[in-house]
Amino acid sequence: MSSKMMFYILKRVLLALMTIWIVITVTFFVMHAVPGNPFAGEKALTAEAQAALEAKYGLDKPLFQQYTTYLTDIVTRFDFGPSMTQRGRMVIDVIMDGMKTSAKLGLIAACSAALLGITLGAVAALRRNSILDKVIMVITTAFVSMPSFIMGSFLLIIFSVKLGWLPANGTTAQGLVLPVITLMLYPMAYITRLTRSSMLDVLGQDYIRTARAKGVSGKKIIFGHALKNSLIPVITYFGPMLAFIVTGSMVVENIFAVPGVGRAFISSITNRDYTMILGTTIFLASLIVIMNLVSDLLYKVVDPRIEFD
Amino acid sequence: MKKIIALVMALMMALSCFAVASAEEATSIAVCLASEPDTLDPALNSAVDGATMLAHLFSGLATWGQDADGKLVIVPECATELTAPVFNDDGSATYTYTLVDGLTWSDGKALVASDFVYAWKRAASTALGADYGYMFEVIKGYPDNLAVEATDDKTIVVTLANNVNYWNELLAFPTYFPVREDVVASEAWATEAATYVCNGPYTMSSWTHNSVITLAKNPNYFKADSVTMDTIECYLSDDANNMLANYKNGNWLLIDDVPTSEIATLKKDYPTEFVVAGQIGTYYVCWNVNQNLLPADSTLTGVEAEVANAEIRNALSLLLDRNYIVEEIGQAGQVPASSFVAMGLTDADGSEFYKNTGVSDAFVGYYDVSVDAYMTNWEAAIETLKKYYTFDEATYMFTNVPTMEYLYNTSDGHKAIGEYIQSALAGVGINMTLTNQEWNTFLNTRKNGDYYVARNGWLADYNDPICFLDMWTSASGNNDVQYGKGAHTELKMYDLDLTAYGLDVKVEDGTWAETYDVLIAAIKSCTDNTARYGMMHIAEDMLMATGCITPLYFYTDIYMIDDSVQGFFSNPLGYKYFMNTTVAK
Repeated sequence: MSSKMMFYILKRVLLALMTIWIVITVTFFVMHAVPGNPFAGEKALTAEAQAALEAKYGLDKPLFQQYTTYLTDIVTRFDFGPSMTQRGRMVIDVIMDGMKTSAKLGLIAACSAALLGITLGAVAALRRNSILDKVIMVITTAFVSMPSFIMGSFLLIIFSVKLGWLPANGTTAQGLVLPVITLMLYPMAYITRLTRSSMLDVLGQDYIRTARAKGVSGKKIIFGHALKNSLIPVITYFGPMLAFIVTGSMVVENIFAVPGVGRAFISSITNRDYTMILGTTIFLASLIVIMNLVSDLLYKVVDPRIEFD
Repeated sequence: MKKIIALVMALMMALSCFAVASAEEATSIAVCLASEPDTLDPALNSAVDGATMLAHLFSGLATWGQDADGKLVIVPECATELTAPVFNDDGSATYTYTLVDGLTWSDGKALVASDFVYAWKRAASTALGADYGYMFEVIKGYPDNLAVEATDDKTIVVTLANNVNYWNELLAFPTYFPVREDVVASEAWATEAATYVCNGPYTMSSWTHNSVITLAKNPNYFKADSVTMDTIECYLSDDANNMLANYKNGNWLLIDDVPTSEIATLKKDYPTEFVVAGQIGTYYVCWNVNQNLLPADSTLTGVEAEVANAEIRNALSLLLDRNYIVEEIGQAGQVPASSFVAMGLTDADGSEFYKNTGVSDAFVGYYDVSVDAYMTNWEAAIETLKKYYTFDEATYMFTNVPTMEYLYNTSDGHKAIGEYIQSALAGVGINMTLTNQEWNTFLNTRKNGDYYVARNGWLADYNDPICFLDMWTSASGNNDVQYGKGAHTELKMYDLDLTAYGLDVKVEDGTWAETYDVLIAAIKSCTDNTARYGMMHIAEDMLMATGCITPLYFYTDIYMIDDSVQGFFSNPLGYKYFMNTTVAK
């Protein structure tokens, strides 16, 4: 690894940390500015009990002191504190529990989306204007424009309720089939279109023509030159997409009752579970920042001409 | 092409391998009550779904059961019998309970009387801050010095400040379940199966968070032979559509929620499986007592203004067609309400409390909510409102009623009711705007009195009208109407006469604190049951006279249960009982 690259990585990591710090700070103060509290319910607590709970979780301290304590705990001990509404559970445990499922779901969906998307995109580009190309384009347009909650409900009704082939809850391995498909369709369609247009672009380049003129075999042109070079936009998309799938699957998690991290995130906000809101936000923000960094670094691997600065 | 067909067929075959076995084994039942419970610590739980699971995991001194006719009854559980109290000179009542032989915890250790004592003191304590800590309010020394002790390993002695009818019911309430000190020392004890120690018909065999909680028959339970169902799988989902999908494909045999939009279809398609059960609760609209409804040019102030406001609020209440609300919006068998204390609560003589309320013998409650009475009510309301507002006879509209803002928490059902009220009032020229807030913000706004009119609802915790009445004292945290707060604090306009009950209380033109607060205190310290219920009727009369509470309907509990399930029952608090179920294969 060149020293230039090392310097680039270091710079990006520092920027990432700064981003996360800003996310924490903004979330912390906005969250406390919103009315409500973690102990509120239809039936109000007595003032004494409310005070006892606030003291227990340090909510009786001045806001800025709560903020500094929180930051110190994270930096020095990587301690995200206990959940305020799920008594007895630690924030980190809840996130890790959810992540086990969300990560599995996200990775399978992202990898399937990439594999299928690149294949279909390449096929469409190579068979440009053929029936196959048109069919692929029509289907992908439909998938790109259909929101996941409609696609999810649609799949649920067909495969779970009507045909009874797959369970309607994502608690088992079979139960993950439908959520994976639902999550996969949009990025798959997007990657297909991305690959197709990028590949068409590359296929029209001079060096491809030169290769053909030199008598390089079709296979080698496609896999050795065209496909590799047309993947740059796909890679740009893949990192953030992975983060998006893992973190943004809340709707799909709800439709299929998948025990992922998205549900924890949503319910923490409704419940004003302050530590949980911060924990999930930090976690998801870090994931997005890291994924962006990884995809930036991957450019270099695919296209050595790219310089870091 | 052939290849494609072969591929599709292969894919379909592969998918069909995933298909779930259609019928449940008779030894286990899969149900879905709600999403992940916040806690399964009996002292901390305040949710109905949590209470259902706790009722399977723990045994209190008493429990809900069914008699030979299938009627719900409170029966002794860990106590040999539900003894009668011994009354003390100060009016307090002492109960002595003996534990049955052979009680053990799920880890095999013996369960002793001091475990109950410890659990009760812990649950009531200020330090724990439990939502349901106030369930121990009836015991002397509440909250931090409860008069309960274990005189030996098998005897519990508890003294109530004054005896209450619902004491046995409290003994069956999850907050009263025992826990062991060494088990609950770590707050995390109730968050995973490995550390969960209980004493009920079931143990927690696994808890996959946000996914499923599995309860397995407890071999250490002292009545293990009576438990027919071996395993209960409680799936955790917060999406009613998902629940319904799982119910329809046979995965789950009971679901405790259905999408509101599907109710009409489900009632038709599943006539025996769609169940509407009674639930003790009231859906109502509450008016902020400190908001003035009079026209801008009104000269009325202070007490006179509040008298007028009360009359206006009561008139507005009559403009609402409760039958339309329950039939067209609620659609789940709700009962139109004309009083605040809910249907299902009993009076001193065992009759229904709500039937003994009101101002007329011609109908039940504070106004007639029968279909036929609506037009009469409406006309009476218009006449009343004419006293305070300008009425245009040509258009049949009021022209100078101030615009009101109706606040509700975000939900399609609440919105639909808000829109109905808006349109009903718009029909006579009254403008109402609708505002919705997310749940936690809404609670805060309503509690602080930063609203004009708001939706509200209240569910009973036990069978006693006091749980609908003590929330309206000036200092109560649930006093959303803001009685005795702000400008209302100073208004001297309420009367209270308790001399008929042998009490030296007679107030004329007193403040809310001098009357209602005193009345609630008198009810809580009253040892004569008939007098106590009599005073509770007075309290409800006072509340309803203010017009700040506009009851719309009494709640029902809707759920779906598969026809193959036998031996199931639920109680009026909405707890579901599966221990005696069998499932036909």
